[in-house]
Amino acid sequence: MKKVFLTLLTGMLWACNSYEPQPIQLNIDSCDYCKMTIANSQFSAELITQKGRCYKFDDLACMIQFAQSNTVVPYRAFYVNDYLKANHLMAVEKAYLLKGGSISSPMRGNFAAFADEAHQKKMAQQLHAQLMNWSVAYKSYQ
Amino acid sequence: MKKWVYIVFFLSLSAWSKTIVVGQNKEIQSIRQALKLAQDHDTIKVLQGCYREGNIKIDKAITLWGKNFPVIDGQNKYEVISITASGVVVKGFKIINSGYATLDDPCGIRVYNCSSVSIINNTLDNNFFGIYLQNCSRCIIKNNRIKAYGKQEQLIGNGIHCWKCNQLQIVGNQIAGHRDGIYFEFVTESVIWRNLSNHNIRYGLHFMFSNDDAYITNIFKGNGAGVAVMFTRNVRMFNNYFEENWGDSAYGLLLKEISDSFIYNNTFKQNTSGIYMEGTSRIQVKKNVFESNGWGMKIQASCMENNITQNNFLGNTFDISTNGSLVLNTFDQNYWDKYEGYDLDKNGLGDVPYHPLSLFAVLTENNPSAMLLFRSFMITLLDKSEKILPSITPDNFVDHQPLMKSLPL
Repeated sequence: MKKVFLTLLTGMLWACNSYEPQPIQLNIDSCDYCKMTIANSQFSAELITQKGRCYKFDDLACMIQFAQSNTVVPYRAFYVNDYLKANHLMAVEKAYLLKGGSISSPMRGNFAAFADEAHQKKMAQQLHAQLMNWSVAYKSYQ
Repeated sequence: MKKWVYIVFFLSLSAWSKTIVVGQNKEIQSIRQALKLAQDHDTIKVLQGCYREGNIKIDKAITLWGKNFPVIDGQNKYEVISITASGVVVKGFKIINSGYATLDDPCGIRVYNCSSVSIINNTLDNNFFGIYLQNCSRCIIKNNRIKAYGKQEQLIGNGIHCWKCNQLQIVGNQIAGHRDGIYFEFVTESVIWRNLSNHNIRYGLHFMFSNDDAYITNIFKGNGAGVAVMFTRNVRMFNNYFEENWGDSAYGLLLKEISDSFIYNNTFKQNTSGIYMEGTSRIQVKKNVFESNGWGMKIQASCMENNITQNNFLGNTFDISTNGSLVLNTFDQNYWDKYEGYDLDKNGLGDVPYHPLSLFAVLTENNPSAMLLFRSFMITLLDKSEKILPSITPDNFVDHQPLMKSLPL
């Protein structure tokens, strides 16, 4: 009995300790920067603070501006959604980004993120967008 | 003589433009075929029936006129009607089942880069986007019934979506079940009048970067998050109804980064928050009714020079709430049903200033879970003492001349 309880307890603690991104609930969650309800997961993004609190955004531009407006709370990780998959968050440092062209995101940040370079290159032609990476994107709002 | 000139003129008109009839028992049986034969200013009259012709592209200035609502079916694969010519009229059709795609946004009716297009008296049912205007001017969208069956957790387009347009008239439409009922982005000098936008997934009406517009006498009811007006200036909002928008992030009217606008004679009834304001400036809020809302108005500290006057606040849980101590807005001559002052000189204005911000509204703004204690004895006591000696609430948050009687609105 005690063993079961212990394993359950550790399991629960383990669950609390996870810093995985929370899935975005479409049309229910709202953006923590622009207050709009998130209705399109293609452009959504999420950041997790050092303490494990999740903030959700409808546009990468919202996340960048939110992150830059705060200098007190340290961040653990940034996530962005794959443009080609519904509700699939990935680490933003590993994402291949595009900006501009015919991409139109909810708050006009106009970023699209892809899991691999091949898709990024292919969609860049299709959308007439320019290649981008996270550090350049982040700095463009400073 | 003059009469003859008119007669000859009209005869010549009818001689120049012809009418092509399309029907299942007629010589011409498809709309596409008729479009090939037609020239500018012709009329294509379509008789009752069901037309499955993939994407119908209108590139001539014609009138497409449906008799007894013929059905045009996109078979869940195509964009149903694409208009690329100025001066087109589409009237009296039932347009159903456009394609569903997240990358190229198929629509019931889409208008590309032209002007003076009229879309009148159509029924749009189960389309991804309803009517989409892209880079257009002087168009009329009138008396259409637009319905979709969007669910939560699912991507769906907007009912009437306008992007980079000017001088539009959106009149008398009924929109339900889409993402945003009416969506404006970079649209200027346009009017939205007498529409019903109910039960949409996100907003009844959504403005982004759209200056110099007006929306008048519309009803927005039961939408996922109410109405949002963002990043714009000079918008006139008159005589609208904002009703039954309940939810954690639902607002009757969400204002963000807007300036120099007018909110007159609207009714905000049964919303979680009647108006939520953030980063707004120089807005006149006058003669509105705030009734039975959770919060009548939520005014964030980033708002300034807004003038809130001659409104009725009736039966709201909290009339006003704010998140800071800085008050740069004025709140004079409103009627507050919670006002307990007196009027000795009988001029209709209370002699004691009214502080609309309750202590508890401030506490819950900073600590939402404190709501548990609402209506407890201690809180009522604290609220009363705060009214007499403001300590936590900003003491300049005050109506100097509260009305004794509600305004007849």
